[in-house]
Amino acid sequence: MTTPSDMEITPPRRSFWRNLSPVWLVPVLAVAVSLGIAWQSFADRGTLIEIEFENAAGVVAGTTEIRYRDVAIGMVETVSFTPDMQQVTVGARIDRTAAEALSAQAQFWVVRPQVSARGISGLNTVLSGVYIEAALDPGSVPDGSRRFTGRDDPPLVMPGRQGTRITLRAPDGNRLTPGAPILFRGVEVGAIEAPRLLDGAEGVLVDGFIEAPYDRRLSTTARFWDTSGFAVSLGTGGLRLSVGNLASILTGGIAFDTLTDAGEPIDADTVFELYSDEDTAMASSTSVASPDQLRIAAEFDGSVQGLSPGAAVRFRGVRVGEVTGIAARQVDMGPAPLIRMQAALALDPSAFGLGSEASPERLMAFLEAQVAAGLRARLSASGVFSTSLVVELLEVQDSPPERLLRPEDALPVIPSAPSDLTDLTTSAQGLIERLTELPIEGVLQQAINLMEAAEDLLEDEGTRALPSSVVSLVDDARDFVGSEALQALPGDIQGTVGDLRAVLARFEEQRAVETLVETMEAVQGVAANIDSATTEVPALISEVRRVVGRIGDLDAEGLVNAARDLLNTADTFLDDEGTQAVPPALAGALREVELALAELRGSGLVDEVSETLGSARSAADAIATATQDLPQLAERLNGLVAQAEALVAAYGARSPVNEEALATLREARDAARAFAQLARTLERSPNSILFGR
Amino acid sequence: MAHARTTQPVLTAQKAGLLGCRICGRANPGAAQSCSRCGAALHRPGGLQAVMAWLLAGLVVYIPANTYPMLRTKMLGEETDSTILGGAIDLAHHGSWGVAGIVFVASILIPIAKFITIGYLALAVHRRWPMRGRLRFHLYEAVEFIGRWSMIDVFVVAILVALVQFNLAATIAPGIAAVSFALSVIFTMLAAQAFDPRLIWQSADTDTE
Repeated sequence: MTTPSDMEITPPRRSFWRNLSPVWLVPVLAVAVSLGIAWQSFADRGTLIEIEFENAAGVVAGTTEIRYRDVAIGMVETVSFTPDMQQVTVGARIDRTAAEALSAQAQFWVVRPQVSARGISGLNTVLSGVYIEAALDPGSVPDGSRRFTGRDDPPLVMPGRQGTRITLRAPDGNRLTPGAPILFRGVEVGAIEAPRLLDGAEGVLVDGFIEAPYDRRLSTTARFWDTSGFAVSLGTGGLRLSVGNLASILTGGIAFDTLTDAGEPIDADTVFELYSDEDTAMASSTSVASPDQLRIAAEFDGSVQGLSPGAAVRFRGVRVGEVTGIAARQVDMGPAPLIRMQAALALDPSAFGLGSEASPERLMAFLEAQVAAGLRARLSASGVFSTSLVVELLEVQDSPPERLLRPEDALPVIPSAPSDLTDLTTSAQGLIERLTELPIEGVLQQAINLMEAAEDLLEDEGTRALPSSVVSLVDDARDFVGSEALQALPGDIQGTVGDLRAVLARFEEQRAVETLVETMEAVQGVAANIDSATTEVPALISEVRRVVGRIGDLDAEGLVNAARDLLNTADTFLDDEGTQAVPPALAGALREVELALAELRGSGLVDEVSETLGSARSAADAIATATQDLPQLAERLNGLVAQAEALVAAYGARSPVNEEALATLREARDAARAFAQLARTLERSPNSILFGR
Repeated sequence: MAHARTTQPVLTAQKAGLLGCRICGRANPGAAQSCSRCGAALHRPGGLQAVMAWLLAGLVVYIPANTYPMLRTKMLGEETDSTILGGAIDLAHHGSWGVAGIVFVASILIPIAKFITIGYLALAVHRRWPMRGRLRFHLYEAVEFIGRWSMIDVFVVAILVALVQFNLAATIAPGIAAVSFALSVIFTMLAAQAFDPRLIWQSADTDTE
């Protein structure tokens, strides 16, 4: 064993780098990884944006998320106020990718739980707290905006949705709730926003949006109406109940439809009128309401009962506006003040067809020119049986020249024309009376009777057993129908009627008949006295009676002769000795008759009367024969037809010939029936043809 | 050893040119590459580079371990991130002083103390600061002993993440800090292991010479 020798320990001088241990790689790696993590989290930190809200209820820094399409894109970092303390400034970091897409059109709003008639929304925010929803418009160019103004409510339309914005004008916003649907034939195609008041004018404006494929339906012929709630109408068609869909009942709704497909495309700033119901909407001439209406007044002298606000104003039958108010106005400030009724009218310039740029001023100029040419306002009934009134603007011919008054402090007044309301009422009354006088029931009864008789006849066995002389029967019928007498009958009757009219006119002129009748009556009275006095008298009386009777019957043929006979008889009678025994009264009477006759004769009237009576007689005869003949004719025709029909039927087989024959015969029977009716009417009141009564 | 400081010079193995085996303790000849008894590779008391490197790596990853969230807790849609220190403060706010203290000590104090201790030991050996070798050895033993208990935080996170997975109601996910903290603990343990306690005695011997 040797003792270990001392070691020469000479530590080698090695360079610093060679001295380094590879274990130093570890901290280097650690630094690198840490720096990497740090850089990544810095890079992921996102971009800071600021959103100003009116009200940031529920927004908490570090908790409230910013979402886009329900995906978190950022987080609220700070909640502070604007320097003037009027707005809340929310600072948020959002993802770089989202920040790169931001443009000034981006919209932000706070999503909160909402319970409305249209449903519940944002329920998830009850648990998780509110969040801020972002809407980016894909069509906009990112411009690096970092400050935005937040909305109070969600936008009606998400940016980027295809469709058309519309504006509606309504009288009030009672049933227009934000988000209420717009329906097209029952399909929801859009929604409306909250209505806003119009500046200065009456009514409200409400914005709406119609989604893409459906907005092609929009044109100048589109009509919008309110479908909210129920509508009950009672008309000639019965009771009608219109109910929209359930959501519409609760929240209100708007429907639209187009009158025709021929409408022109609408402009971006078109304002549609919102009508109260479908009928009004479809009946209206214009859908595109002018933003401004022309307000004028019309004054009426009489009562305006039946005219109410909302009544139509028509120009040549087309609705151009409505009545907005009615008031009485003192016109003449004298001791006896004159009160006139003034109706305020709102006229739509576009309804006059003055073009798209129609303005109230232009309409005013138009109306002034028209008034100078005779345009007047007039009250008229809105329908034949209606008591409500409308104001009509129409040209009145030959009207005294007037002009449109333009007072400084009041509405322009359009001159009015007197209305024709009363005439209409009376003529309507007359029409109704005449209608009630028509002998409809009698005619019907007769027709029924005739039918029954015809049926009886047809069912009679005897008619069926008739000999088969169809040909002769049909020939008979044809002869009869074609006979000159029948053909000439209507002409005859017309001629006689004309004759009679002329006769009567002459009679009327000369009052001869009255005189004659009076005379004859006197004679009759005398004759009655004479009756018991003398034996010769009865002959005279009978003579007189005959004359009188003939006159009564218009049997004027022998009237003059009879009168002459009578005169002769009377002459002889008076000359007769026996007459001497007749009491003086009778003698006086007879003398009167004589005198009358003499006067008649002397005045030359007798000839004329005889003439007229002759023609009257012939006319009456013609009528009489006609009247007498007609029923017979009708009966004969009826009989013929029935026989023929029975025969044809008896022929058996329902051949086409038979069918045709039957049809012909039925027509013939109808003709016969008509004749019978005519005959009966004539029989009953022959005068009806003459006097039209 | 209690009477190590003697006035008489003592012959040490190093002076005798011998190299002790760290496994079985046999003194081998200085030139030997492996232990003649157990066959393990023989390490000469080398430099402090490995210690410093591991220590630096541990320090570096300790920074994100404290700045990034340890736990991501999602309760009813509300997500909260908590760092180690933030969690301890939250606990203290809720009155759990004990738990807050444990968390604070285990996750903040001890790692920092380890960094300082290992750093001090390495520097002291390197700079040959005068100090009693026994104290230094105790410090080293303490660091070695504590090292394995420093993972408490990581274990807690692992257990919580595994257990609390109730989709909507509550979910816990580990954050970056959990990984960083685990790495930091591993690096410091490696640093402690890389430190050769013989260097303590070597410097102590040179002090006494």
